[in-house]
Amino acid sequence: MSQLAMLVDGSRCIACKSCSVACMQENGLQSNSWLRVRRRELLTDHLVRYYNPQSCRHCADPICLSVCPVGAIKRGDDGFVIHDVECCIGCQVCVTACSYSGIKIMTNGKVGKCSFCSHLLQQGKEPACVTVCPVDARVFGEREELIREAGLRMTNLASRGISVHLEGTEKELTNVLYLLNNTATQTIGDSKEEVKA
Amino acid sequence: MGFYVRPKSLGLNSKPLEPDDNLRTSICCLCNGGCGLKVSLDHEGKVQAVFGDLDNPYNKGKICAKPMEIAQTLYGPYRVEYPMKKVDGKFERITWDEALKLIAQKYNHYIQESGTGSIVGITSKIGGSYSKLAHVIFSKLTGMVNYGTGPICMESEFNVRKEIFGNGSSSGPLSDVVKSKILLIVGNNCAQTKAGQFHWILEAKRQGTKIVVIDTRFTETAQVADRFIQIRPGTDGALGMALLKFIIENDLYDQSFVTEHTNGFEQLAQAVESFSLERAADITGVPSNVIQELARDLASRQPGMLFEGRGIVCVNNAGASIRAFEDLMSILGNVGKEGAGIISHINNYGSAKDLIPKKDVVKSDRKRSAEALYQAMEEGEIKMLFIAGNPCVNWPDSRRMTKAIQGLDFVVSHTLFLDDSAMQADIVLPATHWLEEAGVQASVHRVLQWKDQAAATYAEARSGGDLFRQLAKHMGLETSYFPDSPQKAWELERTHNKSIEGITVERMRKTPGGVHFPCSEDGQEAERLYESGVFPTTSGKVELARANDIAIEYIEVFDSPGNQGVSREKYPYLLSTNKVASHYHTICQYSNWAREMEKQPYVEIHPQTAAELGVIDGEQVRLETVTGSLVLSARITLSVPRGYFSTQPYFGLHSPYGQTPANSLFPVAVDPVGGNFANKNIMCTAKAERGQGQ
Repeated sequence: MSQLAMLVDGSRCIACKSCSVACMQENGLQSNSWLRVRRRELLTDHLVRYYNPQSCRHCADPICLSVCPVGAIKRGDDGFVIHDVECCIGCQVCVTACSYSGIKIMTNGKVGKCSFCSHLLQQGKEPACVTVCPVDARVFGEREELIREAGLRMTNLASRGISVHLEGTEKELTNVLYLLNNTATQTIGDSKEEVKA
Repeated sequence: MGFYVRPKSLGLNSKPLEPDDNLRTSICCLCNGGCGLKVSLDHEGKVQAVFGDLDNPYNKGKICAKPMEIAQTLYGPYRVEYPMKKVDGKFERITWDEALKLIAQKYNHYIQESGTGSIVGITSKIGGSYSKLAHVIFSKLTGMVNYGTGPICMESEFNVRKEIFGNGSSSGPLSDVVKSKILLIVGNNCAQTKAGQFHWILEAKRQGTKIVVIDTRFTETAQVADRFIQIRPGTDGALGMALLKFIIENDLYDQSFVTEHTNGFEQLAQAVESFSLERAADITGVPSNVIQELARDLASRQPGMLFEGRGIVCVNNAGASIRAFEDLMSILGNVGKEGAGIISHINNYGSAKDLIPKKDVVKSDRKRSAEALYQAMEEGEIKMLFIAGNPCVNWPDSRRMTKAIQGLDFVVSHTLFLDDSAMQADIVLPATHWLEEAGVQASVHRVLQWKDQAAATYAEARSGGDLFRQLAKHMGLETSYFPDSPQKAWELERTHNKSIEGITVERMRKTPGGVHFPCSEDGQEAERLYESGVFPTTSGKVELARANDIAIEYIEVFDSPGNQGVSREKYPYLLSTNKVASHYHTICQYSNWAREMEKQPYVEIHPQTAAELGVIDGEQVRLETVTGSLVLSARITLSVPRGYFSTQPYFGLHSPYGQTPANSLFPVAVDPVGGNFANKNIMCTAKAERGQGQ
């Protein structure tokens, strides 16, 4: 079986935050969702606004795994990066190390992150944030299929004068692929900065 | 109410949901979008999770955050568990029997002493179809006058549309947008307010429908539109009138439709005569070539649909704007065809006739407008109030409303939560949530869908259906008129209302997505209205002009009720409220999740206005209108124009947010044509608040 992955299409996001709440519901979180939607606004010659959904991208070579002093973060054979909360000591080094703001500090002092809803995958279902998204901004499927779908969406957006790029297939291999607005690239690196939620 | 402790948030580890093969089907009753839901229950029958229903053809498994959030609020600390009576300012537990006896005794007393007009109901959240019908029967038997959702939500939209078409209901289903060539969205941020159904609009866009959004704010809906027209607040009417003039003058309208199916075309042409493109551009700030392009687009792209929102309904000059846009759709012939018509969440399928023999019907001895209600309460003309809703937060000049309610002799609140209005009550009764009550729910696709009771009834909660029947019994009224179950209630309603005669519970249960109305006994459902070309007006035609022969009277926003006579020097800005995806009226503020999505209310300010005030993002701003002031944190954004402020209307003092309601800032002002209260475009001033506090 080929690699399962997720495509997050920032160009479609309408900031309803269903994904964020569905994540909390599915994973039994009272607060501190593992998935946040950040709003960004840029004034060029006209106003550009977009939303950045933000969660663990399940890297092929996860930095969080390398920095964790107790081995609480592991990468499974299925390619998903799993955090073991029992093992976690709450040092939060991984939070700082992750350049995608994928790891959240939880109210119990430990950290938490997207599990790709692996418990749902085992039941043959898709992750909760995908099921709920009303605008298909989150798609689940086989990696190759999603890359094709991303290509189609890019062509379509380009025909409307919107240029986007795909993250997660080249320099940094990740299992959550992001289709992001090109103006977004300037701010991706400093995503730590707390932008208006 | 002090600190709100998040019940499980300090627990060590979270666990994902257990798989549940026994999901209950329901329909979301929040925004009238009518999304299908699947509900997961725990072993006690309590709701533990809510998902979208993949089998529902309208939302196709997609939902917004709101239904998930409300499930979280059902068992929280603010939910009312049992009837309570206020004794020396504190609530004490009483039994249902004691409560009903007391209410019945007071009710009968005030009817005898002060007449039926001394008792009113503010009943915007009365419950599902079962409770609504029982409430209707009870009101008929007692002469109780009620103020429902109308004045705070859609009165103007309903009344104006009724004048034009003879029916205030939506005329085309949202699902028709995929068949339309152009969709005009005016003052409506449906990407946030109907997120679960928004895929229809995106699908239409993919299939080639041109999406045009007219709004003051650069909304999430505007963001995905093909064309966004940012308009000065409160000037939509002028834009609509200029479109009408251009289309009429250039013969771009549907002449055969106008001749055969409309009245008042000359008056309409006369009313819009002075609205040249240049004048409209001056008023609205929309360049004249953009208006012209839109007019040509509307004329050449047929069929087209219109989707208005609260942005042009809950304003003080709503009547003119709504009429302009709906007349526009009419003269373009966008009526009664596939892919044409007006989309709305108003689903009026008519009322049941002759439920009670005439001899038992009691008429109220006094009738007052919603506006006059305040004074009637303040002057002691009203003695008793029955609340099912939250007027102390949702009605304008909320502080005045709260004070007026405090001054009444006897107040009953039938409620889910101990909210701002329930806190003022003498008797608080626990209500069932819609997941705990079976009934019929309408949707933005003009369908009626049946939902069974999904969750176990919470504590001692009772539905309005049961409450009114039992109260009638205690009052010594004839109870045989009342149905005693949601199924029987619908059967009664169906058999007394021709327009839904063919819609049985079984038929709704069998049809995923529900049944369109009207639907006669022979079972023919009508997906859209007016396909026959006959309109339920007295003339049988579309009435383009008002009864006084003046089609549209444009009133400038600064001369409209609430702003009239207010000093522009003192109050130079405009204040509005707008809705966000994570909240819905009172209920969602009790959810931790909603609170995480919207941590606190804020006010959107244009950077230049912020610079004038000397505030930066996140700083406190004091907003002041003629009715009072309020401190909010600033969110600086280019999505609102200069000199315009917008905040969220949901929050109350007696909620986890502990926030003075934003509606406190809105004077009791109604649209003179349609009768809607305004909760937008009210003149205000603002200054940086350096200190602490409200």
